[in-house]
Amino acid sequence: MIAATARYAKIWLASIRYSLVRAMMFRGDFLMWALVEFIWMSVNVLLVGIIYSHTDSIAGWTQYEMLLLVGTTLLVQRLLMAFFWSNLFELGRNVRSGHFDFFLAQPGSPLFMLSTRKFDLDGLVNVPVALAIVIYAARQLGLDPSLGQLAAYTLFVLCGLALHYATLLTIISLVFWLKSASGIEGGYFGLTEFSRLPREALRGFAAVAFVFILPVVIVSNIPARVLIHGFEPVHAAWLLGATVFWFTVAVTVFNAGLRRYSSASS
Amino acid sequence: MSALAKYRQVFLTGIQTNLVYRWNFAIRAAFSLLHLVYVFVLWGAAYAGQTEIGGFPLGATLSYFTVLLVLQFFLSAQNDDYEISEEIRNGLINQFLTKPINYFGYRLSLYFSARLVTGGLALLPVLVALPLLGPHLVLPGAEHAPLYTVAIPALLLSALIQFTIAYCFGLLTFWFLEIQSFIILSLAVEAVLGGQIFPLDLMPGWLYEVSRWLPYYYQMYFPAALLTGRITDLNTALQGLAIQAAWVVLLMVFARLLWTRGLRRHTAVGG
Repeated sequence: MIAATARYAKIWLASIRYSLVRAMMFRGDFLMWALVEFIWMSVNVLLVGIIYSHTDSIAGWTQYEMLLLVGTTLLVQRLLMAFFWSNLFELGRNVRSGHFDFFLAQPGSPLFMLSTRKFDLDGLVNVPVALAIVIYAARQLGLDPSLGQLAAYTLFVLCGLALHYATLLTIISLVFWLKSASGIEGGYFGLTEFSRLPREALRGFAAVAFVFILPVVIVSNIPARVLIHGFEPVHAAWLLGATVFWFTVAVTVFNAGLRRYSSASS
Repeated sequence: MSALAKYRQVFLTGIQTNLVYRWNFAIRAAFSLLHLVYVFVLWGAAYAGQTEIGGFPLGATLSYFTVLLVLQFFLSAQNDDYEISEEIRNGLINQFLTKPINYFGYRLSLYFSARLVTGGLALLPVLVALPLLGPHLVLPGAEHAPLYTVAIPALLLSALIQFTIAYCFGLLTFWFLEIQSFIILSLAVEAVLGGQIFPLDLMPGWLYEVSRWLPYYYQMYFPAALLTGRITDLNTALQGLAIQAAWVVLLMVFARLLWTRGLRRHTAVGG
């Protein structure tokens, strides 16, 4: 078990090293993509600014509480972009073109191999920007989190990363049943928009669907709340349980799809 | 074959090609309803305790986003830039250099066919959700009829702006190997200045005035604002239509320039 984990860690590190060398070979592209991500992040912050220029509160959340929530969402998304986005996005194309065979022929778990092949430095360089938004909002709120709160926040952000990964993998795996993956990644963006909403804003059916059934609201609200309101054991158990459950669902859907895969080459 | 018949055939073939991916479009449209739910929740919460934001009641703002969603499927050049880029990279445009068919006209015909299919399919989930959406929507009454009339040419000009911008981005492939980052960067600018993130009239006044002179305003916000009563003055609407038409001409001239300059750099290889 330990040997297998070490082998996979070694493969992942080798992939990261290769991606870093590649990013430095195409520096113009890297800078352009980093700028693209930065501007999209700014769009989210701008929306908060525009709405709060017309109102004082959204579902009881003040402007800087909302900014902390949006910053947390951006932080998790940047981590997803850095480590997994390109890999899962290309899964959709590769299944259609038959290039997915490449991953099946490798000496390791196909899911691990396809998930870690690329690493996007441009996603990672924007992680400090997202962190800066969180820190700025926390300072404006006068928060002074303890080490325990910071540790819980880090753990919850990692749970968020796992949940985002699971959501994206489940959606992209639909390509095994569809002719093309074009557009289905829109489902991921549609769902993750809810991460930027305070839980209290959702009522009735929307609350049932997006708070209690799908993990798209708790993924950001629980980490943000730990900084604003302190550690809440029920919320921690909720987030950890949801992470395990949805990760299992994603792997099950992927494996079911894998059994349907029948290459595409001639 | 008459000139129009050629492009009609391309249009019909485009419809067939797009219908192959009907489930993808239907799924994408269904997912886009998620965005509408998000918008309803966010703006519903922002309006709590006040009847108006920026001079508009909640129903008007929700109508704006609903109309915008439908327009996006009917107008957005969703994949045209990438397809043009692929055709240049793979040398597929070579065939257009020797045949009596205009590449801009060919791609425009494909754009219209794709928009007809995606727009039609996008309407289905919206119509299904209409009993739920309906009570929240407020559209202007009969007194708004002249503005609706202006909206018809505005929609056509919006389509031309959408397509020509995508066409220009596709042609950048003559100079750059990878254009995806340019496209996504442009999408972010379009999303903000086209009014997709928030209605432009909620921006500070000076910024709104600046945005009125940019092409992005006419890509989506302008027709949506005409249809949902965010623009109520006929003179403002007609002035907007004139600026929109000017942008169409400018963008088409620019596209022509890119095409002729780009072809000079292009090398056709193979037999």
